[in-house]
Amino acid sequence: MDIFASFGHGLLVAMQPENLLYCFIGVFLGTFIGVLPGIGSMAPISMILPLSFYLEPTSALVMIAGVYYGAEYGGSIASILMNIPGTPSSSITCIDGYPMAREGRAGIALFTSAIASFGGGMIGMVVMAVLAPALASLALNFGPAEYFAVILLGLVAASAVSNGSPVKGVAMVVAGLMLGTVGVDITTGAERFTMGIPELRDGVNLVVVAMGLFGVGELIVSIKANASGAHQTDIDYKQFYPSRAEWKSIFNPILRGGAIGSFFGALPGTGQTVASAVAYAVEKKLSRNRGNFGKGAIEGVAVPESANNSATQTAFIPTLTLGVPGSASMALVIGALMIHGITPGPRLLVEHADLFWGLVASFLIGNVMLLVLNIPMIGLWVRLLQIPYKYMYPTIIVLICMGVYSVNNNVFDIWLTLAFGWAGYLMRLFRFEPAPLLIGFVLGPMMEEQLRRAMLLSRGDPTVFLTRPISGVLIVITIGLLAYSCVSALRARRHQRGALRSAE
Amino acid sequence: MMLPEHPFTKGNAMREFLLRLRRSEDAASPPHAWLGALGGAGLLVLSVVFIIGGIKLGVGVPRRLGTGAFPVITGIALALLSVAIILSDLRDTRDAETPDWISFAAIGASLAIFAVVSDHLGLMPAVFLAVVVASLPDPSLRLSGKLILGAIISLGCWGLFIGLLDLPFQAFKGV
Repeated sequence: MDIFASFGHGLLVAMQPENLLYCFIGVFLGTFIGVLPGIGSMAPISMILPLSFYLEPTSALVMIAGVYYGAEYGGSIASILMNIPGTPSSSITCIDGYPMAREGRAGIALFTSAIASFGGGMIGMVVMAVLAPALASLALNFGPAEYFAVILLGLVAASAVSNGSPVKGVAMVVAGLMLGTVGVDITTGAERFTMGIPELRDGVNLVVVAMGLFGVGELIVSIKANASGAHQTDIDYKQFYPSRAEWKSIFNPILRGGAIGSFFGALPGTGQTVASAVAYAVEKKLSRNRGNFGKGAIEGVAVPESANNSATQTAFIPTLTLGVPGSASMALVIGALMIHGITPGPRLLVEHADLFWGLVASFLIGNVMLLVLNIPMIGLWVRLLQIPYKYMYPTIIVLICMGVYSVNNNVFDIWLTLAFGWAGYLMRLFRFEPAPLLIGFVLGPMMEEQLRRAMLLSRGDPTVFLTRPISGVLIVITIGLLAYSCVSALRARRHQRGALRSAE
Repeated sequence: MMLPEHPFTKGNAMREFLLRLRRSEDAASPPHAWLGALGGAGLLVLSVVFIIGGIKLGVGVPRRLGTGAFPVITGIALALLSVAIILSDLRDTRDAETPDWISFAAIGASLAIFAVVSDHLGLMPAVFLAVVVASLPDPSLRLSGKLILGAIISLGCWGLFIGLLDLPFQAFKGV
């Protein structure tokens, strides 16, 4: 009953007019950016980060979360209509969504994706409400060694499991940790790597890193990708609501997708894309309609959308209860909270119960808003896809400049954003992922502090990380994960080479 | 990559130039993946800087880790990883992505102009010029269109950030 009482209290918090407003701004902006192909939820979250500094922490968190799951709703629109995923995690939705649109069933596909996202979101919210307090009470016994081990596991999971080379992913995390050391050392007060620049004494600004790597970096990539112009499918709005048989056939897939999604969402490093891919594969095995998958099966739209949206909700569980973000977006959530002086961790649920339960309840409200935005107002987003990108991207670049400038009223930050933007583009060119770098950057100072504390408490004995049971188990899991991802990457490469050879 | 063909209007040398530049960029064969090794080499340099800098700052003793300890530990880890990256990228035979240097330069210039102009002339001219420069790589928008877009966005920014949100920006400086 405790959960219900807390949830009810959270609902009161989330229903405050201010929080409702920022929730709406968040989900609206998220859908808006999600619809635009090639720009993920990172760019808008980093763009509203400076704005969130002026807000109450709860409003800020509700708004950022809204952008995050709003982008998942929006992302499927471009997937269905144009066969281009609006966000990476909606790429699975293309498989059946686009064929449905070509059959003239675009309306039904869009409706299904909205309702499945809603169902998945609700499942994810329930899982979060039940699981987060349990995990937090377990984490209350954590000391510095355990925290260090948990952060290490989170970092390795977030980098090694990502697509692409695990070595490059881990290298990016380490580079992020190093970037986090720039500025005044909080323990000794000595300046580190500031090169005598006074603006760097407080460290590199999180907004600058995020806007540069994701905002500017993604924008440069997207200019060419979007120049070819959008092709449109006409939507028959009369054929928008699924039939009774279709309703029946998507009900169970939504539940299964939501369950699989909430599991992968809560694990660090996997996130929505893996969740929707696994859920689709499982559904394809289970479904009686499996022959139709890939040719416009309605279940093939429902399952990945339910999974990726439930994963966006459960991603908050490790982020808020352990302070370990599973993805770059969640790293920004941690950054936003720390700017408000709130340290995510097991005590957050007790000390900031309003914030936690307000956020959980805002998922309900935000998802209802998204349902309204995505069903009666779908025409708005379809029209948005028709706006040529040549008008969009100069606007976005100006908004990035304004956002960065507004943080400190400081031109130096814009120059730094330029440097990170170019670096972000080059990283994509050389197949380095920028997301692990940001995660490392956010967690670096925390990791260093826990390391120092643990070493102090153990009187300089580094074996403490292995001899304390919880941290020992976590370190072993970390090493296992690292070994597994290296082996599977090597195997994939060998497979690729074999395929190349046989093609020749 | 497909670009819509546009009939050239007289005197629009800029657009013709851009279209040609785009085509030659598209026609060039994609660079080899060993370019990735350059990224690895860059990381190696970075790690050496951090190791040396960290040692200078002082690593302390295990019980009381010094200011430089964490940079040295992470620096050593990155050095090892970047050697592995260089080795594996040199052996990689796949093609790398085709770079888009025009957009790369234009977006960089746009940010740089915003930084310089907003500091000296104020927000409105900075937004206007940043938009115009950012839209340069798109040959499908005429120069007049770029100017109009710049004017509309700078008016919009003025309305949103100064009029509505009341942020401490100066629309014009030193005029």
